[in-house]
Amino acid sequence: MELIEKLTILADAAKYDASCASSGAPKRSSRGKDGIGATNGMGICHSYTPDGRCVSLLKILLTNFCLYDCQYCVNRRSSDVPRARFTPEEVITLTLDFYQRNYVSGLFLSSGIIQSPDYTMEQLIRVAKVLREEHQFRGYIHLKTIPEADPALIAEAGRFADRLSVNIELPSPESLIRLAPEKEVGSITGAMGTIETASQESRADRRAPKFAPGGQSTQMIVGADASDDSRILHTAEALYGEYRLRRVYYSAFSPIPNSPTSVPMQAPPLLREHRLYQADFLLRGYGFKVRELIGAQGNLPLDIDPKLAWALSNREIFPVDLNLAEPQLIARIPGIGVRSAERIVSLRRLKRIRYDDVVRLRCVIEKAKPFIVTSDYRPRQDAQESGALRQQLSDQPAQMALWG
Amino acid sequence: MYILHCDNEFPRWREQARQLLMQAIPPHAVVWEEPGYGQLFGNDASLAEPVVRPSPRVPPALLDALALAAQYRVVGRWSLLYRVLWRVTHGERAAMLAGDPDGSELQKRIKAVNREAHHLHAFVRFHPFMGRSGLDYVATHEPAHDVLATASLHFAERLGRQRWLIVSSRDAVWYDGQVLHYRQPCPADWAALAASVKDADDPLWQSYYSSIYNPARLNPKVMQGHMPLRFWAGLLEGRMIPWLVSRTRAGAQRDGQAEAVSAKAGKVIRSPKR
Repeated sequence: MELIEKLTILADAAKYDASCASSGAPKRSSRGKDGIGATNGMGICHSYTPDGRCVSLLKILLTNFCLYDCQYCVNRRSSDVPRARFTPEEVITLTLDFYQRNYVSGLFLSSGIIQSPDYTMEQLIRVAKVLREEHQFRGYIHLKTIPEADPALIAEAGRFADRLSVNIELPSPESLIRLAPEKEVGSITGAMGTIETASQESRADRRAPKFAPGGQSTQMIVGADASDDSRILHTAEALYGEYRLRRVYYSAFSPIPNSPTSVPMQAPPLLREHRLYQADFLLRGYGFKVRELIGAQGNLPLDIDPKLAWALSNREIFPVDLNLAEPQLIARIPGIGVRSAERIVSLRRLKRIRYDDVVRLRCVIEKAKPFIVTSDYRPRQDAQESGALRQQLSDQPAQMALWG
Repeated sequence: MYILHCDNEFPRWREQARQLLMQAIPPHAVVWEEPGYGQLFGNDASLAEPVVRPSPRVPPALLDALALAAQYRVVGRWSLLYRVLWRVTHGERAAMLAGDPDGSELQKRIKAVNREAHHLHAFVRFHPFMGRSGLDYVATHEPAHDVLATASLHFAERLGRQRWLIVSSRDAVWYDGQVLHYRQPCPADWAALAASVKDADDPLWQSYYSSIYNPARLNPKVMQGHMPLRFWAGLLEGRMIPWLVSRTRAGAQRDGQAEAVSAKAGKVIRSPKR
């Protein structure tokens, strides 16, 4: 099979993994050195596809032959998809070529399970090892970790990769048993634990070789089972706490060709995925707890973002005086982000904050307006009931798209 | 009224601004003339002889901010910078912060310049160059601000000892494997070199791009927000976008699979014997 044909199949097979980040790596440079590649912690999106997703890494599977039969996966063994397999050398050549042309900032390599979990993991490691050692490639490498593989192999992978990820796949153990019969929650979290332990050991000893300095991430599929947002976010919160994950990715289940009857025919609204990402961002960046954002059951509202929803159900805290409030509380005001909160705090050391200052800081003023007090402004809507305010502030209902 | 020329070069402006501050000339008494334009009113009064007075103390953070904002292309870009400099050196530190009217304009320009540097790092496309020794990769890129000279050093970190050339209609950089050479305007032979490879196809990249795209999630608005239209002409994938979007809208593919893949024969794997 021609290389281009393999690439067509194995990129298509990899697209359901949402992660494409090239951030979090330590600073590396090839200036004046043999080899190529640099990272600076920031990550670069080199292109965007018409689905609005960023292209940052060459994201491919080594092979989409697979022994497993996960119902939500296009590459499950019972799926009628074209199959292909790269040699490690082909992946290496493609990575170096795409990198030098500045299409990507590195490689995200995953694979179907062939022969055995250990064998598959060894193949993935070989690609990363040759890139690093023979080609002195200093770009970003993200390796998917096969949870059932030997912990020694996972430890080896972390020496070459900037990021490792093990997908939790589904928000509940029951769904995993039903939809991914060969997988087990125990081995998935076990692999996460192996990565976290190795990472801790490497951080504790400065002379120790670096271990996956970009940390680990995971992905949860949304809408392939009946789990609600509360379940999903609580699972994410537990994972963040226990394994120090950098990111949990939420991937709206995408209808796949020849879908089995065990998974839905319809995709969940992409807006649901969007709200989950917003809530996740509040967990990671704003110090929110899941229980503040959502009850023990149920879903996030679709018409308003989770921060606004939180503010509307906690009206007694508002309005907040921007000249007096703690920075953390300012960042909790709808329409004002962490960066703007920092700017407000540094500006108020020099002068009293006025309404126009907030406008100039490019906060989402319409959203913030009912919740703030400045030296020359008090919200008229302060007395307004939350229900009415919600109606006023909800995202405009999108017109039903005529096409796609 | 003082009318000055700095040819849109920061070091020259900086020296002039230093002299102006030492002579206590306020912002409203100075204009910088655009290169190639004549001033309707006022005389081209050159600055008096350097005064022996202590140099004004300028915070390093402000100097960095001014150097960045100076790369923002707009008619009259230097007046704002001098006004901010004047105000900060006269005790108004808020003049460089986003909450202040001048500071907000300054920060807006810095943000736009940083964004344009980021666009350069993201959307430059290097074509392998075999034609001549001394060069491995060639690219054409049109930044909206004057970021090429400083932001292109990024590629020396990425490409090690490789030698490369980036040209724009305004200027160009050539990295010889050790040193970065900046030219403004772009030499004609460099421009010709870049034009000779500009439109070369790369079927591998084009296949990858259409395969990694998920047609079940079509969302061209978000794509365009991140990847402005003005860059599309310089990107091989930019020319494919209208075709991919219209195929999806016409219902060519309802699930996530790429058309090129669903056209191929599939293969079910028999249950493994355990």
